Amino acid sequence: MVFSFNYLFNIMKNTKNLLWALPLFSVLLFTACEKEDPIILNEEELITTLIYTLTPEGGGTPIEFRFEDLDGDGGNAPVITNGTLTANTTYNGVVSLLNATESPAISISVEVAAEAEEHQFFYEFSTMSFSGGFDYADADENGNPVGLQTTFASGTPLTSTLTITLRHEPNKSASGVSDGDITNAGGETDIQVTFDVTVQ
Amino acid sequence: MQSFRFVFLSFVLLAPFLSSGQNCSFSISGNVTDEGTGIPMAYGTVYVEETQSGAASDSLGNFKLNGLCKGEYHLQFNHIGCETRTLFISLVKDTVIRINMHHHSELVDEVMVHDHHSQHETSASSTVGQEAIAETANKDLSEMLEEMTGVSSIKSGAGVSKPVVHGLSGNRVAILNNGIAQSGQQWGNDHAPEIDPYVAENISVVKGAGALAYPGGSLGGVVLIEPDEIKNDPHLHGNVNYIFQTNGLGHTLNARLEKYDKWAAWRISATAKVIGDRSAPNYYLTNTGKREYNLAAQLEKHFNPRWEMKLYYSLFNTEIAILRGSHIGNLTDLEDAIGRDVPFFTEDKFSYGIGEPRQTVQHHLLKLESMHIFNEHQSFKLTYGGQVNNRKEFDVRRADRSDLPALSLLQWEQYLEGIYNHFFDHNRQLKTGIQLRLTDNTNNPETGILPLIPDYRAYKLGAFAIFQEEHKKILYELGARYDMNHLQVVTISQSLPREIERFYHTFHNYSLSSGIRYRVLPQLKLNLNLGHVLRSPEVNELYSAGLHQGVSGIEEGNRNLKNEQSTKAVLSADWNVKKKLFVQLLGYYQYISNFIYLQPEDEFRLTIRGAFPLFSYQQTDATIAGLDALVSYEPIESIRLVAKYSFLQGDDVSNKQPLVYMPSNNLFGSFSYSFKDGEKMKNTAVSVNGRYVFEQTHLNLNQDITPPPTGYFLLGANIGTTFKLKKTKLRCSISGDNLLNAVYQDYLNRQRYFADDLGWNVNVRLGLDF
Repeated sequence: MVFSFNYLFNIMKNTKNLLWALPLFSVLLFTACEKEDPIILNEEELITTLIYTLTPEGGGTPIEFRFEDLDGDGGNAPVITNGTLTANTTYNGVVSLLNATESPAISISVEVAAEAEEHQFFYEFSTMSFSGGFDYADADENGNPVGLQTTFASGTPLTSTLTITLRHEPNKSASGVSDGDITNAGGETDIQVTFDVTVQ
Repeated sequence: MQSFRFVFLSFVLLAPFLSSGQNCSFSISGNVTDEGTGIPMAYGTVYVEETQSGAASDSLGNFKLNGLCKGEYHLQFNHIGCETRTLFISLVKDTVIRINMHHHSELVDEVMVHDHHSQHETSASSTVGQEAIAETANKDLSEMLEEMTGVSSIKSGAGVSKPVVHGLSGNRVAILNNGIAQSGQQWGNDHAPEIDPYVAENISVVKGAGALAYPGGSLGGVVLIEPDEIKNDPHLHGNVNYIFQTNGLGHTLNARLEKYDKWAAWRISATAKVIGDRSAPNYYLTNTGKREYNLAAQLEKHFNPRWEMKLYYSLFNTEIAILRGSHIGNLTDLEDAIGRDVPFFTEDKFSYGIGEPRQTVQHHLLKLESMHIFNEHQSFKLTYGGQVNNRKEFDVRRADRSDLPALSLLQWEQYLEGIYNHFFDHNRQLKTGIQLRLTDNTNNPETGILPLIPDYRAYKLGAFAIFQEEHKKILYELGARYDMNHLQVVTISQSLPREIERFYHTFHNYSLSSGIRYRVLPQLKLNLNLGHVLRSPEVNELYSAGLHQGVSGIEEGNRNLKNEQSTKAVLSADWNVKKKLFVQLLGYYQYISNFIYLQPEDEFRLTIRGAFPLFSYQQTDATIAGLDALVSYEPIESIRLVAKYSFLQGDDVSNKQPLVYMPSNNLFGSFSYSFKDGEKMKNTAVSVNGRYVFEQTHLNLNQDITPPPTGYFLLGANIGTTFKLKKTKLRCSISGDNLLNAVYQDYLNRQRYFADDLGWNVNVRLGLDF
């Protein structure tokens, strides 16, 4: 243990030269306290809710398809509400996006409408005949569809799934995209939800 | 430490020779030897700048310069295939000096400097030297290290890469910038180390398990970035380096000035890098440019022969564009992107523009070091290091929010270290140290997105002791280290209402290592290194929560993770046959119990953006085994052939499957020819090299979204020379990468799902030393 004695002795002897470290050491000690609380941020961009409302042409009870995930990606599972449509009826569809964590809820559809050229909704049915009855009912400044407003003719009683996808910055001029074919659209998916549709 | 002690002793020893004199009949004589082997080097040249005269060394490496007056001289030492050495002498008497030369090609640097560096180490290491750094500094730090066997890079496109040592990276590889462990967001594969390679004199990788003097947890290895000491020369010196690259039309400029003034020695280095969109063989990689502006200042003061202080500050400042076509919303987008010949959003025009997605990072490092030499046997070094890291990542967002970062983290770190060295006699040494580290990480709420990594504060206390003894042909080393890590984590809950929760963890780690070096023959050296190292889980492994953009997966931390325990054995043999043939073989085996990895879960997480695969941090037992081989052959002095091979296999023993993201095996070969030094042109050399990277076949198909890419071959070439002017040196070289314009993807590049890797590139370099 001779060396450790020397060690201490020598450090003492050189204390003067080591004084510069004292303020640094006290800074270290000073900061050694509890980490402060984070600010719970405002998730203004969050989309919690998609509501696809189909209203029969000429009046009647609107049918609502709803996907809601209030706490975002983690936490609790989303709540999905499916709808039942009447056969041989033409519906006017409106899709609405909300951030329901705020009170009152903030409409994200307004943001999408403001950047209509950079957005497009795609509606994909697992049953082919449903696709035939579907059409876009709106357009952006370039005459390309946006998909906030749609029409749907229900036809004969069948069941299908409906996948609604919102793409940000799709290539609307790519082949088939303006007809609602997502294959060549590209861009990023902001929303992709799937409902069960029953026509009876 | 070693080198400082040596310098100090040299001052003491040289002092008596430097007494007064009058006339012009002084001489400088000496001996030129190979730094690695100690063998005398014949036919080297010594040149005196002031008199413009010189001499050559004889067959025994001896030289003599006569008829010099009292005065100050700059000497230059040259030898074929070696880095030029410069020395400043204030001549007052006949002086005898000894010069060690080291080989300058980066390949042989690895061979020779390896030898040099391991003189007092029992663990294997490889080094890239200053000339190689100046030649390749338009690349990232990590890409420079790829030249070494057993080292590769994990990349996220053209501008972001981080080193992988023997299969491990990120949290498991410590990067020491100037002796201070690099803080910052080291957990992310898309977070490159914030270091300007130009500040370094050499960059080495310690592959062994014995790196106990460095902060704990370095299971894989340690990367050391070491600036050199400022030369004891009272004149202003410096250099300017410029590199132009055709791929990305990139410009890299660095300038460095240094002077050993009476009041203190100082050095300043500044770097600017502007690179535009890179290109793959068949298309532009739109949005892959980069800007980088770095600054470093170094100040050294020798108060007396026993006390020296050093101050170092560096600023690293970068903005990196991420391939636009790799930005995806969900798994469907990823699948769409994979099937394409040309990535989405590919423009047919080149641009220097940087759009979203992009990253900006600022990193400050301040270091203050005080070295105290008590006597011939004892010294003490106190070091303070402060770091601030500010990282922002920007995504393509709706409603003009692209200007708001999607990730914004501010991290600061304070570090204090005391190291005590005791040389009992010439052959025995004890090194002990205490290290204190405080890290604070805060999310900036400007993002409007719940953070992926929570706010936290981490306290680390470490202590170590290493004992070394050299006895005739044997050098052995024993070391132990203890670390206590305390972590305070403050999270925002995933469920509503959002609540703040606090969590505390304390981990105790110990590490043990032993090494032995046995010089069987002067030409044959064996190293065996054994180490047992614990690493405690990092915040990302414990608390990640959310979507990892690049891979379209939701990653979830695991609060119950335990320490990883690694046992690694490294055996290496260096064999030098008559200076013509050098063979280095290094085999290693590592067993890691409780190895932390991301396990894909069976369930999918349903979100409003679709279903995402869920990954959670789990622990398993893993093994990594590999071989690094290097052969360098010089049939005649001007020709050198080098071959290198790296083999690695990683397995998850518990689940009986291969480990993912392990580097592919690869083979490298080069041929170089050095011309005889002329009157004006020195170090003229041409070389051709080829690298073949094998397909990663040690992987099950269900372990990745796409099968690993096939093997590929890259051809490179280099031609360079140095023009000697009166007091300056002009270095010129041209080199080419991927000259066959091969279309390829690399398994460790995360962008391989979206695009091909880089096409051909030519670098033109100019360097001026004065």
